[in-house]
Amino acid sequence: MNLLSLAVRNVARNRRRSLLTGGVVVFGFAAVALAGGFMSQSFEGLRDGTIRNGTGHLQIADPAFFEGNEDAALEHGLGDSEKAAAILAKDPAVLAVLPRIDFVGLATNGSRSVPYLGTGLDPGPEAQTMDTAKLLSSGAWFKDASERGVVLGSALAKSLNVKAGDSITLVATTTDGVLNAVDATVSGLAEIPIKELDERYLATTLSVASDLVAASGRVSKLAVVLREPADAKKALPRLVASLDSQGFHVAGKTWEELAGFYRQVRTLYLGIFGFMGLVLVVVVLLAAANTMMMAAAERTREIGTLRALGTRPSSIKRMFLLEGLILALAGCAGGAVVSLLIRVILNNIGLTLPPPPGVSHGMPLHVNIYPLAYAAGLVLMVATLVAASWFPARKAARISIIEALAHV
Amino acid sequence: MSAPILAGRGLTRTYLLGETEVKALSGVDVTVSRGEFLVLQGPSGSGKTTLINLLGLLDRPDGGSLDLDGRPVAALDENARADLRRDRFGFVFQSFNLVAVLTARENVEYPMMLQGVAKDERKRRASELLASVGLSSKEGVRPDLLSGGQRQRVAVARALANQPEVILADEPTANLDTKTADEVLDLMTSVNAERQVAFVLSSHDPRVVARARRVLTLHDGRIIGPAA
Repeated sequence: MNLLSLAVRNVARNRRRSLLTGGVVVFGFAAVALAGGFMSQSFEGLRDGTIRNGTGHLQIADPAFFEGNEDAALEHGLGDSEKAAAILAKDPAVLAVLPRIDFVGLATNGSRSVPYLGTGLDPGPEAQTMDTAKLLSSGAWFKDASERGVVLGSALAKSLNVKAGDSITLVATTTDGVLNAVDATVSGLAEIPIKELDERYLATTLSVASDLVAASGRVSKLAVVLREPADAKKALPRLVASLDSQGFHVAGKTWEELAGFYRQVRTLYLGIFGFMGLVLVVVVLLAAANTMMMAAAERTREIGTLRALGTRPSSIKRMFLLEGLILALAGCAGGAVVSLLIRVILNNIGLTLPPPPGVSHGMPLHVNIYPLAYAAGLVLMVATLVAASWFPARKAARISIIEALAHV
Repeated sequence: MSAPILAGRGLTRTYLLGETEVKALSGVDVTVSRGEFLVLQGPSGSGKTTLINLLGLLDRPDGGSLDLDGRPVAALDENARADLRRDRFGFVFQSFNLVAVLTARENVEYPMMLQGVAKDERKRRASELLASVGLSSKEGVRPDLLSGGQRQRVAVARALANQPEVILADEPTANLDTKTADEVLDLMTSVNAERQVAFVLSSHDPRVVARARRVLTLHDGRIIGPAA
């Protein structure tokens, strides 16, 4: 027998009440663990989607490119892009360098013209490192860099009333501000998850884009895919410095700086779940405080006896805090089991969440095992239970012995 | 006669009952010597329990002084008083006051645990003490399954756990039937005789008073005889 075993027995003394409080802790822990797992899965999915839908881990371009809109195509273009790409590709952290030409214009099927947001790209590395090629609902990705084709967002294709194999004409202004047009074949249609983008998405090979805007070897930017996503912040200054040393005047941004949508969703989720977490903590705190106060009140005479026998006030306080800790740890253990069970059920019933604003497809519900959420749940529940035990523990430790012994 | 273990001079204690001041003790002089068997008698409200509480360092007097082995205890902090209670005193209560979640043996072990006695030694001594009060067969039994007399005998064994010099017992037989009360008193007198532990009992039971070697009679917070 020691103080710990006495605390364990005190917790077990009123089983029903301890089970109810433990149940609240189980619920609280499971909620934190599951919400954390869901958020982690959402953030991971959104991050990967952002990176693999064209952003890459880093983007490198002329510094003016990042400062505002261009009045003409490639106004702030990067010259000698092949050399710059080769320099970047030498860095051991770099998996692929994807040159891009951004342009805007009108696509026409002869009878109807629809505005588009165009990207000229190198189809081989794009298909290997990005997901756009996997989003095709019909047709095929570009066979090689010389193909005179376009991939359209399915909503844009619908507006133009074209399908894979049809011909369209692209109209855009060149770098000199002259109106230019090229013919292209629709190679494939892609289901772009963001609705507004799906209505404007157009991808083509660098050669078609270059002809259309008269790029003359310039690109808008270089998207860089790294071997390890976590290296982005570290790699960026190094890559910019290596280009600077070769005479390029460039700037760069990480995917996180470029992905405004990701940041907004993350902030929104953290706000919602943070508020829910706060409510949860208050509920657990009140339930646990009620339990501990009742336990202290019921055991007043016993506390007086223990004090009379020579127990120091600090030991009485420690005993009550230990009881809170035991309840928290037992509840967290139960919560971990419950959250793992719920996770298995949720991940196997094939639930799809409704699409968030601006996104055309719902997201399949999947809850990750996110160790940090489990650790956060444990810390949160332990801190809450210890806080809930603090006042009753302090009160029990300070009680007058003779008043406690006379308590009925 | 040896120097007293406890010596109280002019002890006073006043309580607030609602807004009314109740003078529970009014200038009491008392001494407790090694190995004596002292009974405090008097009607309810005479101050017996208050005096027991002051002598056992469970409460502090409003006035007067209390010395333990000739040293004043008034200035001691709560921890020091707790340590003195643990090491020098044993307590027996009217309602037994055993810890409900501990077995009989564990209840006896508890004061030893506070003193830091090793686990095996604690168990051995607790078993011996329970045997000495005739409860060997009840070591693993929790208090709610013991009779009143058995509980009080466990309480006596617990009071003896740290080999105290004084055992303070407030109305120890009040909740016991006549036969059991006699058994508990027999136990206390034999412990007093064998171990030279001083007993201070409060009671208005004539059978308890009859066992006393010294009796103090209290009335309205004063000792009215015989002299301390």
